[in-house]
Amino acid sequence: MQVDEKLVRQIVEEVLSGMGQGTAAPKLETAGAGPVSGVDFTELGIAEQGTKADEVVIGLGPAFGVYQVKTIKGIPHAAVLRELIAGIEEEGVAARVIRVKHTSDVAFIAHTAAKLSGSGIGIGIQSRGTTVIHQKDLDPLSNLELFPQCPLLVLETYRAIGRNAAQYAKGGSPKPVPVENDQMARPKYQAVAAVLHIKETEHVEKNAKPVELKVTFK
Amino acid sequence: MKRSKRFEVLEARPVHEDGFVREWPEVGLVAVNGPNDPKPGIKIENGVVVEMDGIKRSDFDMIDQFIADHAINLEMAEKVAAMDSQELAKMIVDINVPREEIIALTTAMTPAKICEVVGYMNVVEMMMALQKMRCRRTPSNQCHVTSVRDNPVQIAADAAEAAIRGFDEMETTVGIVRYAPFNALALLVGAQTGRGGVLTQCALEEATELQLGMKGLTSYAETISVYGTENVFVDGDDTPWSKSFLASAYASRGLKMRFTSGTGAEVQMGYAEGKSMLYLEAKCVYVTKGAGVQGLQNGSISCIGVPGAVPGGIRAVLAENLIAAMLDLEVASGNDQTFSHSPFRRTARTMMQFLPGTDFIFSGYSAVPNYDNMFAGSNFDAEDYDDYLALQRDLVVDGGLRPVTEDEVIAVRNKAARALQAVFRELGLPPITDEEVEAATYAHGSDDMPERNVVEDLKAAQELFTGPITGLDVVKALAKNNFTDVAINVLEMLKQRVSGDYLHTSAIIDSNFVVQSAVNDANDYAGPGTGYRLTGKRWEEIKDIPFAIRPEEIGQ
Amino acid sequence: MVDKNALEQIVREVLKSLQETEPKAGGNPQANNDRGLDPARDYPLATKRPDLVRTPTGKGLDEITLDKVLKGEVTPQDVRITAETLRMQAEIAEKVGRPQFARNLRRAAELTQVPDDRILAIYRALRPHRSTKEELLAIADELESKYNAKANAALVREAAEVYERRGLLRIA
Repeated sequence: MQVDEKLVRQIVEEVLSGMGQGTAAPKLETAGAGPVSGVDFTELGIAEQGTKADEVVIGLGPAFGVYQVKTIKGIPHAAVLRELIAGIEEEGVAARVIRVKHTSDVAFIAHTAAKLSGSGIGIGIQSRGTTVIHQKDLDPLSNLELFPQCPLLVLETYRAIGRNAAQYAKGGSPKPVPVENDQMARPKYQAVAAVLHIKETEHVEKNAKPVELKVTFK
Repeated sequence: MKRSKRFEVLEARPVHEDGFVREWPEVGLVAVNGPNDPKPGIKIENGVVVEMDGIKRSDFDMIDQFIADHAINLEMAEKVAAMDSQELAKMIVDINVPREEIIALTTAMTPAKICEVVGYMNVVEMMMALQKMRCRRTPSNQCHVTSVRDNPVQIAADAAEAAIRGFDEMETTVGIVRYAPFNALALLVGAQTGRGGVLTQCALEEATELQLGMKGLTSYAETISVYGTENVFVDGDDTPWSKSFLASAYASRGLKMRFTSGTGAEVQMGYAEGKSMLYLEAKCVYVTKGAGVQGLQNGSISCIGVPGAVPGGIRAVLAENLIAAMLDLEVASGNDQTFSHSPFRRTARTMMQFLPGTDFIFSGYSAVPNYDNMFAGSNFDAEDYDDYLALQRDLVVDGGLRPVTEDEVIAVRNKAARALQAVFRELGLPPITDEEVEAATYAHGSDDMPERNVVEDLKAAQELFTGPITGLDVVKALAKNNFTDVAINVLEMLKQRVSGDYLHTSAIIDSNFVVQSAVNDANDYAGPGTGYRLTGKRWEEIKDIPFAIRPEEIGQ
Repeated sequence: MVDKNALEQIVREVLKSLQETEPKAGGNPQANNDRGLDPARDYPLATKRPDLVRTPTGKGLDEITLDKVLKGEVTPQDVRITAETLRMQAEIAEKVGRPQFARNLRRAAELTQVPDDRILAIYRALRPHRSTKEELLAIADELESKYNAKANAALVREAAEVYERRGLLRIA
């Protein structure tokens, strides 16, 4: 077989860089700070069960920001994470970030985050950008809001997701973030999304517990 | 490099928008013949399978064990394993070997064996085989009815229109999960306004979907997903045993159900174990068989972009439909997701099921414009209706749809919207205004609908879900508001669960509320002039597209 | 090449064995009483044999009318299937050569006695990593003793064994 991982990786990288060119520059000014060039994660040990009712836990996929650094749309993970946090903080709620290592499935990442969250509200995000807002007492594959079409998610969406998660944490019933639907995203992106997911799944450690992260934007 | 103008033109074509990817067999990004696909074989001792497809019983994962213990008819298994796969493939395609004889052989095969057998067929042979092997004699069709804003009035109107256009089954789902009870209710009322007997469902998380069925707001279920590797099955939050229990739970409430699976799901979810998409899908079909479920929605379904991107992928998708039919299961055969930007690829992909006919050619055809399709778009949508009617007429193929006039569509949409308005009023749900009824009557999609108060709707939908209201209350609400015919239709759908006839393989319900299934409408295809033929009144109906000019009027 | 005679014989054997199939472990022996139904003559039951179909409250299909619904004489209990009807449908399934499907319908017959909430709870308990082995075995005992659901109890016990072997139990 003349095709190997290297070739596929190369193709994926080409596709992604092609996508990046067509994308408008991310509007970072909405984040209220200068542009971020990257993010550092320090692992602080096993994530604890939260006790504060005014927090939202963000669960990152196993490769997020480390082995992969941008979404399928080419948006840097650093910027995505900062928007999520900014959205939460804007509502006067604290954001706590954990890395989920035992699964790459976005529903379970989000449900893990929700179960550890003092408010019972969590956000799960995969490296390719797929995001879920979850609540601890829902079935894992259910959700409060699901954003399955990662190529359609932009920085504004991530900020709105953070805001809504915070409002759920405060016991509110926010208007859900408008659901984006592009029926042609699948034929264009699905196979690439699968490759990205395989690469995330390569970093799953089946028996590892979620870890608390200290996040430093650069 | 100086660019060739020819290549520039080619690159601007829609097919270049599609994401083609080369094979990566080591992770299972390959349609058939994966590097870790096992070789067929079976060993049975004292009535127990001790080895299947080269795997010893002690090494079985949960899926292997479930298949070995429940899915294969063991009496014949060793004999069939010893038969030549190419000869078996020939028999399956041969019109002179009756379906019944084939079923006895195919239901005794192991997953690797059945893949080897279909591996000998090209797509034309697979279509020949599917024409003979599908369970129900009469082909049928299913549609999606959804709204990007989860607008219930629009859903009711579109369901009514879809019903008179000929769909026997309808599926909805949600943008926002908490809208589900409204969507299910709107679909039920709309469908029964259009034609009594249409089956309706709402695709949701498994437990929630069952609860809606128990309340009488849906009449069947389909999105009960099964997977071909243990890791992915567990990520899907189930096991073959939990799914078997769920299957019996549905039947215990008199509700029809089928499972869902499809090529590409395992690689899409990151755990294909270096096995091909078709082999893993074959295992899903066997899990379905072993659980005792009557049928399966397959044909890649939501993962179609994955087999669609690799060589031979669309042939593999046809092969998985065929494998389901070979195991004597109802097949709702995909074509239900956007697959390509190229109209040629879209059509060619659908011809594989349209020409031979399946129990449901689409699972579902989008009865709304694709921008409203909350299954992320279907291969054909409401804007393709007239193309589809022309395909049926050109090729003399019954694709399940019928021509309609603008008058009847407007009338039935209006009636469905008013019926739902009455039900909402009677049940104390947030009001549906006359303006909304008017908009839904003439709408193409949700862009044509006024906005609703989403927060208020969600609150009421949640109360509907947790409260005591059932399908019988819907019947009463309709009857009190003089929608007597719709009330009777909804009641007849509830009555179907008492007799359980529609639990059987490939069941649909005709406009007299008589079940037509693989028991009383069994496929008897045995070559030219036999089986289902598009003739008589049905052909007259399909022929009569309103946009064909009458020769006598030309030149007048 | 396949010997045509041998093949014919094989097929005949299979057809015969399918017709004779007894419910395996998981089948409910007492439920296998043959009612003498003939799929060609008696199916669909609703139109061909309405005399055999009763609601859980003993009503016939012709007693479920709009008029009675409006008078409040039809309750949600009246639009449910009975164990007896499910066993008749299982018999039809067996006679058209669908033994697995028939077993599912026989399990369903047992579950007609289990309340909605309990069904949902047992389903959730069977999902991966939800229950300990002891919890699953307790559910099996409950199904057997409280609801006489022997086939379902067998299914849950089998799950408990497999979950233990494959690491799918709840880590307590």
